[in-house]
Amino acid sequence: MLASEKSKKDRKTRAKIVTLLMVILSLMLLAKLYVLQIRSSEKYSLMSDKNRIRLSPVLPKRGRIITSDGKIVAGSVHRYKLVMDYCSDKTFGEDLNLLDMCLKLSDPEKQRIIEARSRARPHMSFVIKEGLSWEEYASVSMNLFKFNNLSLETVYVRNYTMPLEFSHVIGYTGKSDDAIQILTGKNGVEAFLNDQLIGTIGSLQTEVNALAKKMRITDFVEPENGADMVLTLDSEIQKYVYDLISEEKAGACVVLDILNGEIVAMASVPGFDANLVSNKMTPRQWKSIVADQLFPLINRAAVCVYPPGSVFKIVVAFAALSEGVIAPGDRISCFGGVKQDDRVFHCWNRNGHGSLDVCGALSWSCDCFFFEVARRLGIEKIVKYAKKFGFGSKIGIELPNEGAGLLPTKSWKFLRYGTIWKPYETMIVGIGQGALLSTLLQTAVMIGKIYTSDYNFTPTMIKGKKKEWAAAPIDPKPLETIKKALRQVCLCGTASRSCNADYGISGKTGSSQVRKIKTEEAGVSQKKFDWKFRDHAFFVGCAPHNAPRYVVAVLIEHGGGGGAVAAPIARKVFDKLMESQR
Amino acid sequence: MRIGVPKSRFFFPDEFKILFFIVFCLLAVSFLGQYSAFNGEFNGFVQKHLIRIAAGLIIMLLAYLVAFSVWSNFAYVFYAFALLSLIVVSILGSIKSGAQRWIDFHLFTFQPSELMKLALILALAKYYSLLSSFETREPKNHIFPFILTLLPSVLVLKQPDLGTAGILFCVGVCMIFLSGFPLKIFGALIVGGLSLCPFGWFFLYDYQKKRILSFLNPDYDPLGAGYHVLQSKIAIGSGHIFGRGFLKGTQSKLNFLPEKNTDFIFTTIAEEIGFIGAFFIILLFCALTIYFFWVASEARRPFPWLLCHGLGVLLFLHVFVNIAMVMGIIPTVGIPLPFLSYGGSSLITFMISCGLVMSALSHRKIAHKRVKN
Repeated sequence: MLASEKSKKDRKTRAKIVTLLMVILSLMLLAKLYVLQIRSSEKYSLMSDKNRIRLSPVLPKRGRIITSDGKIVAGSVHRYKLVMDYCSDKTFGEDLNLLDMCLKLSDPEKQRIIEARSRARPHMSFVIKEGLSWEEYASVSMNLFKFNNLSLETVYVRNYTMPLEFSHVIGYTGKSDDAIQILTGKNGVEAFLNDQLIGTIGSLQTEVNALAKKMRITDFVEPENGADMVLTLDSEIQKYVYDLISEEKAGACVVLDILNGEIVAMASVPGFDANLVSNKMTPRQWKSIVADQLFPLINRAAVCVYPPGSVFKIVVAFAALSEGVIAPGDRISCFGGVKQDDRVFHCWNRNGHGSLDVCGALSWSCDCFFFEVARRLGIEKIVKYAKKFGFGSKIGIELPNEGAGLLPTKSWKFLRYGTIWKPYETMIVGIGQGALLSTLLQTAVMIGKIYTSDYNFTPTMIKGKKKEWAAAPIDPKPLETIKKALRQVCLCGTASRSCNADYGISGKTGSSQVRKIKTEEAGVSQKKFDWKFRDHAFFVGCAPHNAPRYVVAVLIEHGGGGGAVAAPIARKVFDKLMESQR
Repeated sequence: MRIGVPKSRFFFPDEFKILFFIVFCLLAVSFLGQYSAFNGEFNGFVQKHLIRIAAGLIIMLLAYLVAFSVWSNFAYVFYAFALLSLIVVSILGSIKSGAQRWIDFHLFTFQPSELMKLALILALAKYYSLLSSFETREPKNHIFPFILTLLPSVLVLKQPDLGTAGILFCVGVCMIFLSGFPLKIFGALIVGGLSLCPFGWFFLYDYQKKRILSFLNPDYDPLGAGYHVLQSKIAIGSGHIFGRGFLKGTQSKLNFLPEKNTDFIFTTIAEEIGFIGAFFIILLFCALTIYFFWVASEARRPFPWLLCHGLGVLLFLHVFVNIAMVMGIIPTVGIPLPFLSYGGSSLITFMISCGLVMSALSHRKIAHKRVKN
């Protein structure tokens, strides 16, 4: 009995040990449950959401660019895109076979799709084909229900209706560098006004299952389309101007309306096909654009810089009159050349112009007269007035990477070359040559400043964004003389043969040398030189005479004489402007 | 020997109400859990599960109604039958390649390892009920029950089913311990056995090695062997205190959670009803185990005493291994959660367990009455 009691007790103890073990294990379970569900709950909730929530951007429609006469020069058209969701090998194979039946894929195309799949980020969809033709779209969309993972998406691409004429002004677009790949302006107004044009990106939040199949939409933020932008440019004038310049190899033209500071036309020849550059192009097409010796991607109107040549004499004459270096009636004799620093500097007319006052010197563009005036002024004073007329710094036009030009000074030369400024260099700058560089736009703005009598005149390209500036009146007395001289240029001066119009054009020709002329070449016709050694032909002018409104600046790259080449083109532009009388 | 139903056995003592309450709660959770795990559709699988629950209840009552002495008298017969079916399965398995755990009777499939769990407990209880307390102190008297335990464990391990084999072995060892195996020798054997564990590594299959590696280092293979447990932890963790709501668990509904009906049913439920619900479920299982142990403590004879303890240990081990596995406490082993997992064999095993425990309790009552009379 005693033994039985003892064994009973022993059994009870053993049962208690087993029970205790179970209690410990249960507490372990509860502790772990507490850790998972309460202490680390936040972390696991995030991981759970990360498993199932997919966020994809919804791209907005890019704003249009419209000209002042209402023509949509840059718009968006939709294209169809084939997208495949992340999927297993089996369903991918089925879809590929089905796609082959719909589109008749070639082997390299199939290979490309397989590669695209292997490159795609895990659990993310990838693009199979962009820019489907209508037949392809119809064929796929009819069979869309048969596909496991395929979807058709609409994307917007940029469409330019006047791609060549407006290529430099509007620029082009490309996909952004980030993962969203939204259309982004890469040059021209597209780049400058990108923030307004681009709109706001929306988002689509979907719930996916373990196989990355979309189950339902959990959130949708609608994209906000970009704002339309209206330019001051006139499509008709722009096209006319572009076609005119296109008769030459390369050149540019800027037309300003000084009454409201609007740019009416800004063309650069040769243009490039903005549609091609903006959308997908083959490497060969790109190569042909880049390798073109005429550099079609360069904007010759506002980015590229040239020596302004005789056009700059306006600034020098104005400076001389303002500083009292010469009086309006003072005469200087031209004998066809001037000797300075043991060198002879020739006038373009080697026979000499004889005795000329400032009006005569401007109208015949006498170099000797301005050699002398520049010598008297000194480089500092020339630079001071050139700055006032907008040379040497950016105008502030709505374009990225606008050219600033260059105003050479003594300190600039020392810093740049480490040599001392020589007196003859002042003389050369006096006729707009030497190290002096400016954009065509800067010369046009200079004329605009003269005819608005306002140093702060600044043109704009965007409608309704007229720039406000405090008027800085130009001293009227020397200005009158200059205006008279510019009128004379077209009446009886260098541009008299082409610019003697009824409505009255005032202007200045320019032929800027691109190299030193050797003695034996003196008087040889420009047309006998190689194209790239010919002078740049300039004409800047304003019309009509009694109520100045339009400024036209023409540049024909390596065109030859300004009076013979650029002025007739400017005349045609003026005629067109007068005829349309916007 | 009586086979049949004496009139006096139709009564249900008050103590049954607690058991019925716990089992009813578990079966309700089971049905709702399966309904949710099948994405809230009352489809064929859910209907089948409901039928199994009903069948389980009937089998529980049948097990209760069979005279208690039948279990004692036929214990070895059950054991022999279960062992035989295990051997048949392993032979069939060697004929067909791959894992073989079922015998297909076309109408239903039969899993001998489930039967073995009950048969082993019955056989051990039977063996020790014939030993006097004096005899149990002799280590050599424990050799036979150890062989009884080891034989099915090895056979099941060969299937290969590490989890079930482990549970069979643990239940057996636990019962040997309870029956009075000398403490000192038992302690020495446990220490010795544990020190031999590392050598067991060489006998593991590749997939089992991977599971253990990814358990020790969850970053070992997050998209492979570690994927299941990681997704399970995410699901449980995202449940927070009150859960995501019935039928709203994203991890299970969007199929990030594997085996959401069977081994990971606890995860499916915990994601939707949160800490409070999961805590309640663990509590239910603990309550059932304690009920089994309580019935054991009420027993007057060694056979029901050991039987109920064995059944309690069996139930608790299943619950612990399954829940610990889905929470990442132990490596992945395929052990179903009693009552809740989809599948008939496991459900029926534990329903019979309940019937046996009821039978043991009522047997005690009759014994009382006889004493009173």
